[in-house]
Amino acid sequence: MHSPTRARLSRRARARATAEDGFTLIELLVSMVILLIVMASLASVLVSATNSEVDANNRFQAQEQARTGLTFLTRELHCASAVAVINTSGSALAAGTAGAGITETVPSSCATSGGQTLYVTWCTAASTLNTSDWALYRMTSTASQPTCTSSGQVKWVDYLTTSTPFCLPSTTAACSGVLRPASSLPMLHVAMPVNLNGPTSTIATYDVVDDIALRNGARS
Amino acid sequence: MRALPRSPRVRGEEGMTLVELLIAMIVLTVGILALVAAYSSGYVALNRATRVSSATLVADSQMERFRALQYSAIALNTGCGASCTEDTTYTGDTAYSAATAVTGCSSTTESTCLPTQTKTGPDGKSYRLDTYIEYSCVSGTYVSPTSCGSGNPYPVKRVTLVVRSSILTSPVREQSDFTAFPGS
Repeated sequence: MHSPTRARLSRRARARATAEDGFTLIELLVSMVILLIVMASLASVLVSATNSEVDANNRFQAQEQARTGLTFLTRELHCASAVAVINTSGSALAAGTAGAGITETVPSSCATSGGQTLYVTWCTAASTLNTSDWALYRMTSTASQPTCTSSGQVKWVDYLTTSTPFCLPSTTAACSGVLRPASSLPMLHVAMPVNLNGPTSTIATYDVVDDIALRNGARS
Repeated sequence: MRALPRSPRVRGEEGMTLVELLIAMIVLTVGILALVAAYSSGYVALNRATRVSSATLVADSQMERFRALQYSAIALNTGCGASCTEDTTYTGDTAYSAATAVTGCSSTTESTCLPTQTKTGPDGKSYRLDTYIEYSCVSGTYVSPTSCGSGNPYPVKRVTLVVRSSILTSPVREQSDFTAFPGS
């Protein structure tokens, strides 16, 4: 069936292919498969590294917020008077009961008052960033004590896993196992656990806890 | 159809062998692994930074408890047995001085009275907290709890907190002076 010309050409082509020692198809396939395996494993490492970097960055921001909020709260409470723990409807709570907010009066001489007597309310509300988390807001007024729903809220902490971060212990009623020591000033127990992924997250929660001395209070 | 002329140059190019290709790939892999190593060293640095900031919060939180105490209540309990033991790590610290140590607390549970205790940090890890309370003179030399030598003000109580953790290359330290003035 083959013409003499085609048979001659085919033989010539085979001869040329044998003379040039390039890749065979098998060699090329083997090398590509090996390269693919190596690249796939490296790519998975890089992807997981990038993901954990993003996660670590977010967690760091949440932790930093909690620490900054606590520092500000400590500074304000050291100078404040009439500190009380309240629930979301504004009622004062008994010693040892955790509440959603605090009310305080900041005298004009304090650094955070802005030069005149300031009524300050701190309250938690549902976070707008994560549906199962909470955020901590600060409201101020020079006229009267703001409520948890007053306007002019400033957010200080987000991604809280609790809605009740505040508690005022007495010498007999403890807050998370912490009693007020004898001959001590009153102390506000603040527990601000932050978790970017909500309370049910398997990633460790960063638990910022402090007992802030209320320096204008009376000793026990 | 006309046969192509066979060029000597084409015959001379022999392409890469599989071994050469493998060597090239290994070199490439080493290069990429170096980049991955940069990620892992970043992770280690981040971990250490978290430990340092957590240890600082542990110290801050403990110092706050001293701020709430009365001057007379700032003291250590060094004689309650196992929970008040001062080991060589404690006595080997620069803040330690047996001669000026403030003792006299009788509580075995109050955390401000314990020389060495274990605290859980905000990251959930354990930290060793060493508390040193020493009389210190702002001016003059220490004579007694009520004297720094003639004409000098009374001694202050110097509280030094040292937070240790195996991952910290050096402990986190915090120091504050407390005077006998009311309200301090």
